Amino acid sequence: MKIVTPLLNAVWIAENDLRQSFKSVRHVVWSLLFPIFMMLTFSFRYGATEPDIQFITFLIPGIVGMTAMFGSINETMSIVWDKALGVFDRVLAAPVSSTSIIVGKTMSGAVMGVISALVLLIIGNMIFGVSFVNISFVLLIILLASFSFTGIGTIISGLASEPREAMMLSNLLRFPMMFLGGVFFPVEAMPMPLPYIARALPLTYATEALRAIEIGNISLVFVDAIVLLVYTIGTMLLGSQILMRIMTR
Amino acid sequence: MVEKGEALGNAVEVKELTKSYGSLLAVDHVSFEVKDKEIFGLLGPNGAGKTTTIRMICGMLRPTSGTAVVAGFDVSNKPQEVKRRIGLVPDVSNLFGELSARVNLEFMGKLYGLDRKTRRERIDQVLELFQLKDRQNDLVKYYSKGMHRRLTIAAALIHQPEILVMDEPTSGLDAQAARLVREIIIDLNKEGRTIFLTTHQIDEADRLAQRVGIIDRGRLITLNTPEQIKNSTEGMRALEIKILNGVDQQRWVPIISGVEGVDNVFLAEGKIRILSKNLSQIIPTVVNLVGKHGGKIENISVTQPTLEDAYINLTGKGIREEPMSKEEYLQRRLARSGLR
Repeated sequence: MKIVTPLLNAVWIAENDLRQSFKSVRHVVWSLLFPIFMMLTFSFRYGATEPDIQFITFLIPGIVGMTAMFGSINETMSIVWDKALGVFDRVLAAPVSSTSIIVGKTMSGAVMGVISALVLLIIGNMIFGVSFVNISFVLLIILLASFSFTGIGTIISGLASEPREAMMLSNLLRFPMMFLGGVFFPVEAMPMPLPYIARALPLTYATEALRAIEIGNISLVFVDAIVLLVYTIGTMLLGSQILMRIMTR
Repeated sequence: MVEKGEALGNAVEVKELTKSYGSLLAVDHVSFEVKDKEIFGLLGPNGAGKTTTIRMICGMLRPTSGTAVVAGFDVSNKPQEVKRRIGLVPDVSNLFGELSARVNLEFMGKLYGLDRKTRRERIDQVLELFQLKDRQNDLVKYYSKGMHRRLTIAAALIHQPEILVMDEPTSGLDAQAARLVREIIIDLNKEGRTIFLTTHQIDEADRLAQRVGIIDRGRLITLNTPEQIKNSTEGMRALEIKILNGVDQQRWVPIISGVEGVDNVFLAEGKIRILSKNLSQIIPTVVNLVGKHGGKIENISVTQPTLEDAYINLTGKGIREEPMSKEEYLQRRLARSGLR
């Protein structure tokens, strides 16, 4: 009972967040259009008239990782909106522990990241025929990546005092991460010192692991999974601390 | 630790409650009790510390010092027990606009641990009570302000709390919607619920509350029944005058306040209100003074002091006067955002 109730409360909070996000079909479509657009644009490389299949095989895992990042961080931004609209107070006034609130918000962020990434994976498969040999590893990496991005989203949400600030802060992180995280260009091809910066970003490990799954390099997948796990624990702990400070001040 | 049952007829007991943000004392050693089944009003201007007091009582904000005991439970030690017994109606209706009224209530019911059957029954009950049943499936963002308010109260009642805490319950509502909310408050109190409300509207406190605490700049100035507070103006009477062609009625305030025997002068609804213990003595002086300064009295009347008169007499200023300084506003904003 002592574990069930807080866990159930976290599930209700996550369900409520996701219900709001999926309530608007337009909202979901718009959020997916960006990665789809990026995937289609970059599939035509260097003025080629036909998609470069070798590059697409490289691109799709990156796009999937990037989509998980956008989906998770966007969903976690709901904390800032909840604070601005006062609905966060509604949850704070209820007999719900701070841990349940943080776990609930994390769950919704991760679920959104996974769903968005899977949609892109399916679209990539349908348009370009890109497929993965081991789907369970793909799911594991997407899940771990989504949790680590959710941790980043929680930190941003805790630090930002209002939605505009949160959007600016998240763009400050998301866009450099998108270009330095190995989505469009291999990290190895980047000039110094960019590979060092890339190695500090969770997206780099997510894209690297997804590509490793494609070619069956399972040992690299495990290494990247451990890095993502460490990232997840680190960002979640920091994010929780910041949120906890707001909730119990 | 205070155990349940030790409240001895008090729904809320607040002792020396203090909240400071750096050098700003938002709530300054406030002490009061809210008796079981009464309507208690905390009256004060915006920024007086009413919402901060409420947030501490509801376990949403940690006091810097002092204690708050709600339904026999210390808020600092047992915040979850306190939250189970309180229904909070915030000053701004904070419902999920993208969800329907029913889904909003469903979510609240889940957070308060109600099972599916009880949830369904209670939701039907409150939707019926607040006349929202026919709009229960509409998205809340399409509701009018009055409907928002009713739904916010409904959401606070879903777990049938002993104490209903309402922050500015009629703020921003039109006269009709405000009247309806006041009727709801009275009905809920008649059902045996303790109501703790805050307001900056003196007439609302006068009409609804059985006891009123006046708070200003974080300090509780007085606490009594509205009648007793009015009696603090004992011996005083109020003179109300409207000066013709007096475009800026405010300019008469310093002129009249110089008259001997005048205890207080202020503007109320476009008229000059003068409080004095020797009204018969000062009326000719005031009339002469107005004439001497080129004014012409259009209307003059003598009334009994109101709660607003008492408020001004106690605080030395009107409830709508003295907006917060820029520094104080910024300090409060920073404090609210959790950045300090």
